[in-house]
Amino acid sequence: MQDKELGDYIVTVEKIGKTFPNGVCALRNFSTRIRRSEVVVIIGPSGSGKSTFLRCLNGLEEIDSGSIVIDGTPLDENKKNRLEIRKEVGMVFQSFNLFPHKTVLANITLAPGLVRKKSKDEARKMALDLLIKVNIPEKADSYPFQLSGGQQQRVAIARALAMHPKVMMFDEATSALDPEMIGEVLDVMKNLAREGMTMIVVTHEMGFAREVSDRVIFMEDGCIVEEGTAAHFFSNPQKERTKLFLSQIL
Amino acid sequence: MSNAMSQSYPKIWLRLKRSPVMDVTKFLMVVAILIWVMARGTQQLGYNWQWYQVPKYIFQFQDGEFTSGPLMFGLAVTFRITAWGLLLSMTIGLVTTLLRLSNSFLARIVARGYLELIRNTPLLVQIFFLYFVLAPIFGFSRFFAGVLALSLFEGAYVSEIFRAGIVSIHKGQWEASHSLGLSIFDTYRCIILPQAIRRILPPLTSQAISLIKDSALVSTIAIYDLTMEGRVVIAETFLTFEIWFTVAFMYLIITITLSMVVNTLENRFRIQT
Repeated sequence: MQDKELGDYIVTVEKIGKTFPNGVCALRNFSTRIRRSEVVVIIGPSGSGKSTFLRCLNGLEEIDSGSIVIDGTPLDENKKNRLEIRKEVGMVFQSFNLFPHKTVLANITLAPGLVRKKSKDEARKMALDLLIKVNIPEKADSYPFQLSGGQQQRVAIARALAMHPKVMMFDEATSALDPEMIGEVLDVMKNLAREGMTMIVVTHEMGFAREVSDRVIFMEDGCIVEEGTAAHFFSNPQKERTKLFLSQIL
Repeated sequence: MSNAMSQSYPKIWLRLKRSPVMDVTKFLMVVAILIWVMARGTQQLGYNWQWYQVPKYIFQFQDGEFTSGPLMFGLAVTFRITAWGLLLSMTIGLVTTLLRLSNSFLARIVARGYLELIRNTPLLVQIFFLYFVLAPIFGFSRFFAGVLALSLFEGAYVSEIFRAGIVSIHKGQWEASHSLGLSIFDTYRCIILPQAIRRILPPLTSQAISLIKDSALVSTIAIYDLTMEGRVVIAETFLTFEIWFTVAFMYLIITITLSMVVNTLENRFRIQT
């Protein structure tokens, strides 16, 4: 996206490595820095380490080496730091992962109440505002199983936003959706990007990458193969591997 | 095909089939058959049925007021043992489960050791051990020794039921909760346990009923529970069949009360996914 003011670096990832117990190496000396308000789209073949990278950023996976610093807080063994980072980094999953035993409203207000110590009324008011933002204010008292996939994913986005995160991560947020529902979720994500949210998005939606991303990272085998602005990346890829990948998916 | 089958049954019949009334009816039918068989058998034996003798061991009517008979005292004791046993075994079970699922190696070993030790030795031996060996050392009462032995025994099984329920909750629920910054404690309290409880309740009910029946074993350390009182009455009166039937019926009252409580709970936790 052009003419957007990018801020200082909020995410600093330095030479992180991650090998799973089964011997699969997901990340090799992976480094990148992300600015405030930047929208970074990560693409790549399956198994290239995109999701693992996101999951390392909020400590869902432990890194073996390297360092991660988010808004000045290092992600290390210190549990307090880890919780602090999780508060500031919102995550949206491919499979929604809403809490099935709670209403939409309760899904959204749970963490602000418990973690941010918001009062019930305050959390409720904010949740209703967020539901308006994701275009489903009428579903506040529904249970997740009563919603379509697209609606569930929008609730999941609202739930993550309710923590007022500084960074939002999307892990193939539209991959599990029926085609006609992808649009409604992408619209919410695009609005978020326009409002200046810092976003790291793993996706196969090239239209989204072209339209709102400031930078595209192409990963393979746990490394960055190529990165650049969306316009540059799609129209003029440098590496053969990138060209091959783009020709396969476009 | 299956649809057509279910439609051919009247709805009321299906509902009746599932209701506790049906269970009670079945139980009573079985009891009736048993009584009939007994009656046939004892006719040949010449057993002298004296049901009229039984009520005074349940209630006595003296000087214009009711007083409880020995069987009622026994029932009250069994009820107390059961109530404390349920509470304590659930607590022990939950703690053991959390230890087994924790990241600490030591905690996992302790929980595993307890589980294997308890599951692989007879309850009777455990009751004796607690009463004759540990009770004098720590100075706890006969009643407490009985309840503790029972709770430790059932707690081991309960912990496996809890564990199965907890690990059956999808990994995504943990991840969603963690990603929102919830602590482990809040994750268990607000996300995992409320969902697991629905899957845990049915096998837990079986275990609770086992506990009620196993509570009869505390009579071996001379706690005057329902079984013990029944035995004493039989020793005095030789009303073997009458008293045992009555005792069985009184155990049934406890188990049915429990089933009803669980039914209410299950309805409360029933949420579709």
